[in-house]
Amino acid sequence: MARMGMVFDLKACIGCNACVVACKQENSLPDGVFFTKTLSEEYGVFPLAKRVYIPTICNHCEDAPCEKVCPSGATHTREDGIVMVDDDKCIGCNSCAVACPYDQRTQMDAEKFLKGLYGTGEITPFEEQGYGRYTPGTVTKCDFCSQRVDVGLDPACVVTCPTNARIFGDLDDPQSAPSKMIRERHGRQPLPEKNTKPKVYYVN
Amino acid sequence: MSIENKVFSGDTLKVGYRFQRHWDNSMAYAFFCAELGAGLYFVSMLLGSMIGMIAGLVVVSTGKPYFHLAHMGVPGKSWRAMLRPDRSWISRGLWALAGMVAFSVLYLLCLAFGEQFGIRPDSALLWVLQILSGAFTLAVMVYQGFAMSHSSAIAIWSSAIMPMASLLYSLVVGVAVVRVLLPAPQAAALTGSLELLLLGLAVMHLMLLHSGWHGSPGARTSIELLLQTLYAKWFWGAVVAAGIVLPALLLWFAPSSAAVTVIVAVGILAGFMAWRILIFKIGVYEPIMSMNPFRSANT
Ligand code: SF4
Ligand code: SF4
Repeated sequence: MARMGMVFDLKACIGCNACVVACKQENSLPDGVFFTKTLSEEYGVFPLAKRVYIPTICNHCEDAPCEKVCPSGATHTREDGIVMVDDDKCIGCNSCAVACPYDQRTQMDAEKFLKGLYGTGEITPFEEQGYGRYTPGTVTKCDFCSQRVDVGLDPACVVTCPTNARIFGDLDDPQSAPSKMIRERHGRQPLPEKNTKPKVYYVN
Repeated sequence: MSIENKVFSGDTLKVGYRFQRHWDNSMAYAFFCAELGAGLYFVSMLLGSMIGMIAGLVVVSTGKPYFHLAHMGVPGKSWRAMLRPDRSWISRGLWALAGMVAFSVLYLLCLAFGEQFGIRPDSALLWVLQILSGAFTLAVMVYQGFAMSHSSAIAIWSSAIMPMASLLYSLVVGVAVVRVLLPAPQAAALTGSLELLLLGLAVMHLMLLHSGWHGSPGARTSIELLLQTLYAKWFWGAVVAAGIVLPALLLWFAPSSAAVTVIVAVGILAGFMAWRILIFKIGVYEPIMSMNPFRSANT
């Protein structure tokens, strides 16, 4: 069985946030909700100042603490390693949110859906068709665009990235693009000391 | 590296520490009610105080569910939280709570009306009910600490001190409040136990400060938040002064009176409430990673 994962190439990321917009569009995310974020870090002083961009996403941890603490069974891992939240089962207790070391969980407060993308209370037809997939009050996160993966497509952020900074594929296949990249460029996982075994890697 | 130089990213898109904000004050109140109610019930049961047992049971069975439901995103489905006792401390805690309420109600009913139905005070049934309600109550007193310590995300919570704190605070508030409800001679007899428990509380806080300060960057940051920011006045003023030092001084030096007993209990309750809120507020997520070659482990 496959073990889907992602690699972020920090040398390639230019912080354009195209992935963030693609994710919000694909998943119809209301105002203030992000399943992926591009963080930035600045260091050094002029003329040697530097800024790097660090994309973040749910790491689909193999030993996912969010799944272990979920009291309702809403959080579960698919056979291909994608960590999912079953909207019908989630009670919105936020236990997963405090258990995720990467702060990758967001509660879909009812007011987020009422405000609308422009904060005026007007819900556009685009929002209307997308919001139906969420139950207000539940806690959500990135699911690697599982609806796309199921039909053989890459996640929306991956296909949108103009610099190929996001590489998606089967980590169990030694010939897959992410596996090769992790091997050749010494991929490292975020916060490995938390023992969550993330399936997202960073290369520099 | 002091707290002023640390990067707190908040809602910004910077690499840095992020505050725990998912468990808010209503969760803190729910935790408070559970530990207060269970502690009061447990101590009252050991001392045979019917009024204390009823008060504890009422606090647990009303305050705790009320504040939990207020926090829950989908309260209508909250029964689902009982489905995974095999892995989740929240589930286990709910089973413990259900067991505590069920067996305690039965125990109290048998105590109050049992003789009318032939249940004598020394009957095996009463003894079994007391053991069961006591065991489930003990579980309620500690499980919230385990729910916090179980995950490594919030470093300051990820420690065996959390369940210890839950148990200790439960016992301390239980004894402090039951002293208010008991007749003066019985209340006075508990002075020594309360002094010892307060000493235990002080040691527990010292252990937490010490282990956090010398622990991981996230734990250290939480302790810095507690001691060097606006939370410091609440920690020193409410948790330490009102919750431990003042009650201890009164217990040692003030002549015992109803007023002193009430002041001691109020001080301890205020300190406990402040502690429950603060421990949620100082929780932080560590920066996901840093590419900054000049950054030390503690920044
Ligand atoms: S990154 Fe967080 S939400 Fe995603 S699987 Fe890991 S623990 Fe769960
Ligand atoms: S908020 Fe939902 S997914 Fe998260 S732990 Fe609670 S029930 Fe599970």
